[in-house]
Amino acid sequence: MRLVPIVLVATSSCWAHRLDEYLQATMFSVAQDRIEAQIRLTPGVAVFPFVMASIGEDRNAYAERVLRDLSLSVDGVRLRLALVSVKFPALEEMREGLGEIQIDFRASVPAGGSNRTLVFENHHQNAIAAYLVNSLVPRDPAIRLAAQRRNENQSTYRLDYTQEGARPMSGEAVLIAAAMVLVTARFTKTLLAADERR
Amino acid sequence: MMTCPRIRLLTLICVAAAAACAQSPTGRIVGAANSFLSTLDAQQRQKATFAYNDEAQRKRWSNLPVRMVPRAGLSMGELSERQRSAAMALVAAALSKRGFEKVQQIMDGDQVLKENEKNNPMFGKDLFFLSILGTPSEKDPWMIQFGGHHLALNITIAGSAGILTPSLTAAQPAWYTLNGKTVRPLGQENDKAFALLNALDENQKKQAILNYKVADLVLGPRQDGKTIQPEGLKASALNDKQRAMLLDLISEWAGIVHESAAAARMAEIKAGIAETWFAWSGPTTAAPGKNGTAYYRVQGPALVIEYAPQPLGGDPSLHIHTIYRDPTNDYGRKPASK
Repeated sequence: MRLVPIVLVATSSCWAHRLDEYLQATMFSVAQDRIEAQIRLTPGVAVFPFVMASIGEDRNAYAERVLRDLSLSVDGVRLRLALVSVKFPALEEMREGLGEIQIDFRASVPAGGSNRTLVFENHHQNAIAAYLVNSLVPRDPAIRLAAQRRNENQSTYRLDYTQEGARPMSGEAVLIAAAMVLVTARFTKTLLAADERR
Repeated sequence: MMTCPRIRLLTLICVAAAAACAQSPTGRIVGAANSFLSTLDAQQRQKATFAYNDEAQRKRWSNLPVRMVPRAGLSMGELSERQRSAAMALVAAALSKRGFEKVQQIMDGDQVLKENEKNNPMFGKDLFFLSILGTPSEKDPWMIQFGGHHLALNITIAGSAGILTPSLTAAQPAWYTLNGKTVRPLGQENDKAFALLNALDENQKKQAILNYKVADLVLGPRQDGKTIQPEGLKASALNDKQRAMLLDLISEWAGIVHESAAAARMAEIKAGIAETWFAWSGPTTAAPGKNGTAYYRVQGPALVIEYAPQPLGGDPSLHIHTIYRDPTNDYGRKPASK
């Protein structure tokens, strides 16, 4: 039985690989004291020369630049992103729209209440980007992910989550809190004294 | 008129089917595997077989053409007609009738793509690879891998269990004409999903339809064992008829494996249906008889299905990727570890 040649609507659509987009897929893993994430970046064939030119010779430096284009905050506090590892595919794979750059990063999360909100923004190469962003179901049963919200192109992501048994504050935080209590007490005492004088 | 390879394949399938009456499904698959191996010379046998714990081979699958992501095992193109018939008879034995038909349609589609692209050597039915991990057995776990461009079947046989996860089915072109008939390898996956969406009321639709674009599979190749936070409409909010439609949609993947394994898998999925989610992103209409361009995901306690039209230089409705996973049991790790 021979296959009958056919004419399709799009005859030259044999592309098996990404073409004119720079796919950037971020996956978060939320823990009590940290956020870990991996971003997988796949430049399409048509945008590869442009992306490659922006990568340059120093690949770690490129990864750091990617991180600078990201913004991650928890409960309104912007977190410092620390590069964990960078993996680059062979140049040939990238040229064919197949190669996937993998950047792993993490951020420490300050102690907080039981209801928390993570906000992530990705502005890297936004003119050619196709963004994906998701969170893994946490391994820690004390953490439960709730609502996820994104804008239309997934460049902005908001995740509400709860954590049971919020961590006790660090020594530094305890000192700051104690100092604030003392200042408040002293201020209150001064006000009361002024009242008495009146 | 049918050519020799087709007649031989049909004969082998008929012989296998007759033998099946007296055998368990696993016995039938083991028999077909041993029949295939017996047709190979020593060198071919070495090429086709791997240790069961060969993790590199287990994960050597992709949606991409084999020139881009090389596969191991024996390609159909390097087999004689007899060997090729035995290879396809093994694949047929491990799958349901409907599943095998789907696989043939995906392979035919790749041949159509080759011919449409001036005999592009990157595509075609010769470039599908078969490999066996472990020793075919009715008792101990072993694995059949079959795939190439737009197809990756990872079938773990463990006693009476037949586990098809993770597997990838895809199609380009997503519709074509073969011998005067229109073929849509993933047509049911599209049509049943649209039917389910259209059966939802406005409030359910609001929950199911995501307000953002999904550009690709989230849990495609190399994303084994990951479970993402589900989204969309939870099936606990569906009525009986809608749930039946969702199960029917899921069966397009769960029903690829042979019938008794598919029945066990569907029972497992049905048990978790209230905790299963349906999410949709993209246009809510499609031209009749064509695939749409919307992405959707079905996610349950032991299930992930994604359907992702690919905007890769052409009409996304003509190029579809799908993934089928069980994050709790990909590659049959649950029974294998017992």
